[in-house]
Amino acid sequence: MEKSGSMDSLGSKQSSSRQPSVDSLSSTSTSRSDRSSQAAKLPSAMTSDNMSHSTELSPELRGRAKAVSKVHRDSNKEELQLLPKEHVQDMAKDVTYICPYIGALRGTLIVTNYRLFFKCTDREPVFVLDLPLGVVSRVEKIGGASSRGEVSYGLVCKDMRNLRFAHKQMEDSLRKSIFEVLMKFAFPVSNGLQIYAFEYGQVYPENGWKVYDAQVEFKRQGLPNESWRITKVNDHYELCDTYPSTLVVPVNIPDEELRRVSAFRAKGRIPVLSWIHPESQATVTRCSQPMVGVNGKRSKEDEKYLQAVMDANAQSHKLFIFDARPSVNAAANKMKGGGYESEDAYQNAELVFLDIHNIHVMRESLRKLKEVVYPNIEESHWLSNLESTHWLEHIKLILAGALRIADKVESGKTSVVVHCSDGWDRTAQLTSLAMLMLDGYYRTIRGFQVLLEKEWLSFGHRFQLRVGHGDKNHTDADRSPVFLQFIDCVWQMTRQFPAAFEFNEYFLITILDHLYSCLFGTFLCNSEQQRLKEGVPKKTVSLWAYINSQLEEFTSPLYVNYSNHVLFPVVSMRHLELWVGYYIRWNPRMRPQEPVHLRYKELLVKRAELQKRVEELQRDVTNRSASSSERAGSPTRSITPVQTFV
Amino acid sequence: MFSVKPLKPTFKSYLPPVQTDVKKTPQPTIKKLEAKLLPGEIVVNEVNFVRKCIGADSSHDDLWGKLICTNFKVSFITHDALPKQRFQVANRLLGEHDLPLASVEQVVTVNDAKGKQKVLGSNQKLKFNPTELILYCKDFRIVRFRFDEAGPESAKKVCLAIAHYSHPADPQLLFGFEYVGKQPYGSAGKRVNSVGPGGVQTPLFDRPSEWDREIKRTGAAEWRVCSINEGYTLSASLPEYFVVPASLADQDLKQYLCFFTAHRIPLWCWNHPNGSALVRMAYISDPAQQRKLDQRICSAITKSHPQRSDVLKCDLDKNLPNIQDIQVAFVKMRQICVIDPFEESEEKWLSSIESSRWLEYVRAFLKHSAEVVYLLEGKHASVILQELEDRDLSCVVASLVQLMLDPHFRSLTGFQSLVQKEWVMAGHRFLDRCNHLKKNDKEECPLFLLFLDCVWQIMNQYPASFEFTETYLTVLSDSMWIPVFSTFLFNSPQQRTENSTVFAQSKCIPLGEENALRFPPVWDWSQQFTPKDQALFNNPMYVGKGSSCVQNGAVKSFKRTKKNYSSTLRGMPTLRNGLMDGQDSFTLTRRNSLVLRLKPDFSQLREVVESPTERFFRDWFSRPADLQGMLIPQLLPTHLALWRLYFLRWVPEARIPQGGPATAYHKLSQLADEIEMLQNQLRQYKGSTPASTPTSTPNGPPLDHSRMYFRAGPTSEPSPEYLSSSFPFSPVGNMCRRSILGTPLSKFLNGAKIWLSTETLANETL
Repeated sequence: MEKSGSMDSLGSKQSSSRQPSVDSLSSTSTSRSDRSSQAAKLPSAMTSDNMSHSTELSPELRGRAKAVSKVHRDSNKEELQLLPKEHVQDMAKDVTYICPYIGALRGTLIVTNYRLFFKCTDREPVFVLDLPLGVVSRVEKIGGASSRGEVSYGLVCKDMRNLRFAHKQMEDSLRKSIFEVLMKFAFPVSNGLQIYAFEYGQVYPENGWKVYDAQVEFKRQGLPNESWRITKVNDHYELCDTYPSTLVVPVNIPDEELRRVSAFRAKGRIPVLSWIHPESQATVTRCSQPMVGVNGKRSKEDEKYLQAVMDANAQSHKLFIFDARPSVNAAANKMKGGGYESEDAYQNAELVFLDIHNIHVMRESLRKLKEVVYPNIEESHWLSNLESTHWLEHIKLILAGALRIADKVESGKTSVVVHCSDGWDRTAQLTSLAMLMLDGYYRTIRGFQVLLEKEWLSFGHRFQLRVGHGDKNHTDADRSPVFLQFIDCVWQMTRQFPAAFEFNEYFLITILDHLYSCLFGTFLCNSEQQRLKEGVPKKTVSLWAYINSQLEEFTSPLYVNYSNHVLFPVVSMRHLELWVGYYIRWNPRMRPQEPVHLRYKELLVKRAELQKRVEELQRDVTNRSASSSERAGSPTRSITPVQTFV
Repeated sequence: MFSVKPLKPTFKSYLPPVQTDVKKTPQPTIKKLEAKLLPGEIVVNEVNFVRKCIGADSSHDDLWGKLICTNFKVSFITHDALPKQRFQVANRLLGEHDLPLASVEQVVTVNDAKGKQKVLGSNQKLKFNPTELILYCKDFRIVRFRFDEAGPESAKKVCLAIAHYSHPADPQLLFGFEYVGKQPYGSAGKRVNSVGPGGVQTPLFDRPSEWDREIKRTGAAEWRVCSINEGYTLSASLPEYFVVPASLADQDLKQYLCFFTAHRIPLWCWNHPNGSALVRMAYISDPAQQRKLDQRICSAITKSHPQRSDVLKCDLDKNLPNIQDIQVAFVKMRQICVIDPFEESEEKWLSSIESSRWLEYVRAFLKHSAEVVYLLEGKHASVILQELEDRDLSCVVASLVQLMLDPHFRSLTGFQSLVQKEWVMAGHRFLDRCNHLKKNDKEECPLFLLFLDCVWQIMNQYPASFEFTETYLTVLSDSMWIPVFSTFLFNSPQQRTENSTVFAQSKCIPLGEENALRFPPVWDWSQQFTPKDQALFNNPMYVGKGSSCVQNGAVKSFKRTKKNYSSTLRGMPTLRNGLMDGQDSFTLTRRNSLVLRLKPDFSQLREVVESPTERFFRDWFSRPADLQGMLIPQLLPTHLALWRLYFLRWVPEARIPQGGPATAYHKLSQLADEIEMLQNQLRQYKGSTPASTPTSTPNGPPLDHSRMYFRAGPTSEPSPEYLSSSFPFSPVGNMCRRSILGTPLSKFLNGAKIWLSTETLANETL
């Protein structure tokens, strides 16, 4: 941690390696609710109710070394701490924030090229709202000037909240409202500006872009082997521009044939290996839909290719093709030239539809969910309202699909091929969840980073389009909470297997917060090729650099590393729950009560302290007995040595 | 109702001679299949070559053995081992496949070939030979037996015997009487109370000294133990000893008594350190006396308050669901959780749970109790809980209020004393509410379970504040169906005395000084479980006496001395002694039934209008909770959760293999055990004069006896395979829904009121 680059930075004064500084918290971390969280170790909220301090905006403040103790940390978190190359763009006094929980709050609003910062000091405790502009999905002026001469603005956010502000109409009509400034910086892409991640430039001890190396990961899986080879055919993204450069394909399919297979698969996304079972050699292979069309076109190369995928696994004479879509949708795709594998053409293959709906259905479901949970929850009919959003039903279908895949591979020792239409949304959800069930490595913090880098980022989940970074076009039909759903599914699994994951809930929330924040480059662009073209790895910081610099914050103390432990979650409404810690975190009444892992951490501290004391006493006793050893006859007490378990 | 036929063959006529025909079978292996009997237990009927169904769809895993009906249980004896991985905590009173008769809710016999089925009651006839027997249990188990290879007559007899014996006509026919009569509990003459793991006795509150101790513990100086009901001369439902305001003389009380419903005068429950008292009482039955009596009672309670604070009344009947509502909700929950086919109920699961209203009721009780907490804590007022008879809803609310306010009741012995005080001694009609005699379905109500669910909800929100686990709560609820314990057998202490005297006289059993059979209280857990299994009750996370918690990196010990406890309560900034009188009289209607939905306080007219209650709660929630102080549960609908261990433990499809909260419990227990070992070592070092032996530590358990079920072991010991979301129970062998050619039972019985119905059904199969 001491290695941390410039002092004049976000994590300016970390001399304790365990704790992130308050600055890094208020700027990079996740907030829990409209009221700061209680637990000292939990990250500070974007809004806080701590003691007041005068607002200083001088950038020099950043460089000033501050005390490390937690007590002092808190006192500073309602100050605006600018990040490197973050600049105040506008500031307005007498702005009213209409908080759905507290009521109207009058204070100062500051807009920088990275965030919105609102602070209300004429209230005890001080109220602070600190929000990365990347979270804003839409800004709209609500109505005209009111009777009191105030104009009102609504901010719709990507993280399940809406914010409402009001301020006096400008007397000087030429002057821009702060909200017009905000709109400019909230949507840099639409305004020809750079996304803040390209400015940030914070140096962390670890280069997060090095977390994932395809070669290393495949080597971990034992690849290449006698049946699978690593091909360079996509080195320059010529075979498929949405695929990674490193691909694993069956040994006996030469690169030439790969090109012909790619012609038969939507967007050229050929079946490639994602994961191989270390014992049975059953594989998880992913691709896009075959271009069957209305006339039932066939491709000999594609058929041969899938046969080769099947043959690579000696344990089974069957291949399962999981089509993530409802069969109706899959059939409808034939009209657009797509479709699914007919069992006539692909002998020994069995096709299964997983009934997962498309991005538009999911977007609508989340919209309904937001209506139900934000800002307030209706006292009656909570469960039926939740049911009517179908959100958990979609989560269930995704998990159920992943479970079937994992079960086929693990219990059936059969290789599987997974696809949807393009193979970058539902397919990514399914393969990554199945891999999470099958392979304990992905349940570690680093392994999970590798999983995301591999199945989501390198295989071209279109983050830019699905999230709409810096783009004002909030009605874009390409936006969809596909990745959020995946993280929700992961959270559901952590609920069912509390000891099987190295990371905690805060890790997942942090990933989601930085999915939108545009502070890190990780989730920018749509594909590996685009990220390279934009120089994202060179010009931006990876989220993993930040996370890996303070692992303790993200570690679940209950984690037990069992080898070869395959998780089979129970995919039933009886066990699925709404992730209130994420979806309802803005409601101050949803404060999480004393989570189990905090108590566990306390116990760990206690154990350490006791061990220390026992060891000290042991040393004393040894010293004493050494000095009095000449005293014969006195039987030495047998004391079991301290067992230290880690 | 079983009005089918007059009760001609009496219950006792079913007793021996024991059926002997089955034993003729010369198979040597079967000879060993003997029922293990408890003292006083006798075999009524038995049948061989019975198949216990394990899987719904195939008979592959089924077990072969002998089905036996005794006067206590339905026993299935087999040599077959269960095929699947299973773990279930063993009960000393019951074998692996045994069910106590008292837990049998409904006996259904089926004949496949004839397509007939019948729900059997007591003293009924069966016109067909059953091929199958399904037992629906009150603890949500569903057990199925097949008689394909069994003697048809013996099978029929066993079914009839089970039906008959699970409907005892009289409380004295409950097994506990025979059991205790044959083996008088604590017969050595010494009083046997529960021995908790810490060696602390649970007070039963059946003697004045225990009430005195409780008065002292809570600092209720102006209250006294009253013994006017000694020998139950004045009221059959009140305990012999109870606590009343010191200013009320016995003479006054005797005079008031007859004006209260069922003679239930106000009973003291608990005192807040600020002097406010929690009191419960029945309605005043005589309207003419209403005002006068109300005033007298209130002024007596006010006099007992050091600040002469107000007395507020809560009418529970007006504000809470009644027992029929609760029973209906519970029956729906049972239907949804274990009877409805798993897959088909998935889609509407959430709305079904909602429409059962169970969670809504749980929330209502918690909410109401939290509001009473506000009155005691925030308004420093004494509170009277009023209910028509003061024997049902008051038990729940009085216990929950004390659980929230007093950390003592969140310890194991404290909790047990709370149940003893507010349920058993206060005369909760366990016999009727459990419907042990299956006489009157209208009286049946799972109120105690509802209370346990409320406790679970608080526990779920504050997992470190209870000394016990959800396993303890579940096992406690299961114990209601083992009709041996004084705790759950009777409607009142008086009923216990009366019945046991009559029974003892009829059987010529000498009674001791207490003049009653000594039924063991359920708190004597050694009756049911080994010490090792009792460790499942201990919460490794508990922050309580002697344990410590870390705050801001520093280890801080909690010692629950009385001083400490009151100071945590006194520390609440809302408490201003002496200032409260003037301030208090504004918002609340005094004396008359309390309006709990307070009108908005007009001084608070800001953007968000907040009532004093809401402000009190918001203030409290804005501070970190002190686990050894007051605890208020969060009560948004999103905070309420389904108690999965209780409701889903028997459902095979819902079992998470190698997952569930048990995996976290496993890890936590090991750590807690390690800490305990280190503490013991420290103690050895500290207390070590060269002569002392290391193991003789006065304050701690001996080294070989851990509080934790899972012991600290070698590094990264894998979690046991048997851990699951049902741990320490297992659905394997305990639940088997019937499906006939894919038709689930609920459809098969279409139109019938399952569980509640005792009508004879003769549907055609398909």
